[in-house]
Amino acid sequence: QSQVAFGSMAQDTSAPVEVSADSLSVNQSDGTALYTGNVVIGQGDMRLSAPRVLVVYGEQQNRIDRLEATGGVTLVSGDEAAEAERADYNIEAGTVVMRGNVLVTQGPNAITSEEMTVDLDTGTAQLTGRVRTVLQQQSTGDQ
Amino acid sequence: MVRTYSRYSRMIAWLKILLPMAALGLLSTIFLLSGDSDPASRVPFSQVGIDGDIAREEVRSPRFSGTTNTGAALTMTARVARPSENEDGRMEAEVLEASILSQDGSRIDLSAPAASLRDATAEAELTGGVEIESSTGYTLNTQSMLTSLERIEAESRGRVTGKGPLGTLEAGRMQITTAPDSDDIQLLFTGGVKLVYIPQPD
Repeated sequence: QSQVAFGSMAQDTSAPVEVSADSLSVNQSDGTALYTGNVVIGQGDMRLSAPRVLVVYGEQQNRIDRLEATGGVTLVSGDEAAEAERADYNIEAGTVVMRGNVLVTQGPNAITSEEMTVDLDTGTAQLTGRVRTVLQQQSTGDQ
Repeated sequence: MVRTYSRYSRMIAWLKILLPMAALGLLSTIFLLSGDSDPASRVPFSQVGIDGDIAREEVRSPRFSGTTNTGAALTMTARVARPSENEDGRMEAEVLEASILSQDGSRIDLSAPAASLRDATAEAELTGGVEIESSTGYTLNTQSMLTSLERIEAESRGRVTGKGPLGTLEAGRMQITTAPDSDDIQLLFTGGVKLVYIPQPD
C-alpha cells in the first residue's frame, strides 16, 4: 500500500472525453460498443491508450459507466506514465483502476505493484499488492 | 285538244328540271368539290404527353421487402421507381427509405433522396446524402451507401459523421453486417473513428 502523486493536480473530470480508434463495432441487439486498434482515450492532459476498449453504459444509454481497456494499457498524465495489463476508467468518478503488473515511472524512479487506483481529481494514485520501488541511483558524476 | 299551258304548270315543269339539278349540285359540293381535308388531322392533340416523361412506365410508391434466414427483415419503400433508360435491369428510385429489422426488435433506418437498384448484383446504391438512424441511438449521415438486397449487408462509400448515444461520432467508413459469431446485426465503423463524449453531470 503506498500513496503516490500522479499526474497534474485537479484534473477536470467533467471535461469532454475524446476516444479515437481504428475501428468501432456496435452490437445492435444490446448496444455494446467495442473500440479496437490503438485506442486512445483522452481527457484534459490524461491519455489512456490500449488495443481494445469496451464501453459499458450507465443505466440510460447516454451515459458511460466505465471504459474497460484491455490488452496492455498505458496511462500518461502530466509527465508520469503507468502501464498495466488492463484498466477500468470510471469517467464520472474520475478514477482509473489498473490491474496486472502495474509499472509506474516517475522520472528515474519506477514502482511496480499488482493494482493501482489513480484519482484524477486529486492527482494521487494508490498502489496495492506487492508494491516495490526501484530508486535510480543518481549517477555520481562519472564520465 | 290543245293543251293550254297555264303559267302554273309551266312553272312546275321548269321546277321538275331545276330542282333535281340543284340537288345534284349540292351533292357534288360534298364529294367532288370538297378539299382533301382529313378531319382526323385537325383534332388538337396535346404535345405534353409525347416528349414528357409520362411516356415511360413507372411504379408509384413501390414497396420491397425480404427476410433473411436469420430472421432479420429488410423493407424498402420509395416515392416513385422507374426503369433507367441507359441500362436495363436497373431501376431508379426517388426518396427511398429502407429499414433493417432484426428479430430482437432493434432496427436501422436508411433514407436517401435517390437510389438505383441493380437486379444483376441484387444491390441498391443510395446516393445524394444518406441518413442512417439506429435503434441503439446512432443518427449518422454519409454521402452514399451500397446496400445488398439479399442479405443484411451495407457499407458507406465514404466518411460518416453524426451522433452516437454518447456524443458526436466520426468515422472513415461504416458497414452494417451480421456479427461473425452470433446473428446479431452490427454497425462496424472503420478507417479511423473519433468520438467526443461530454460527461453528463449526475
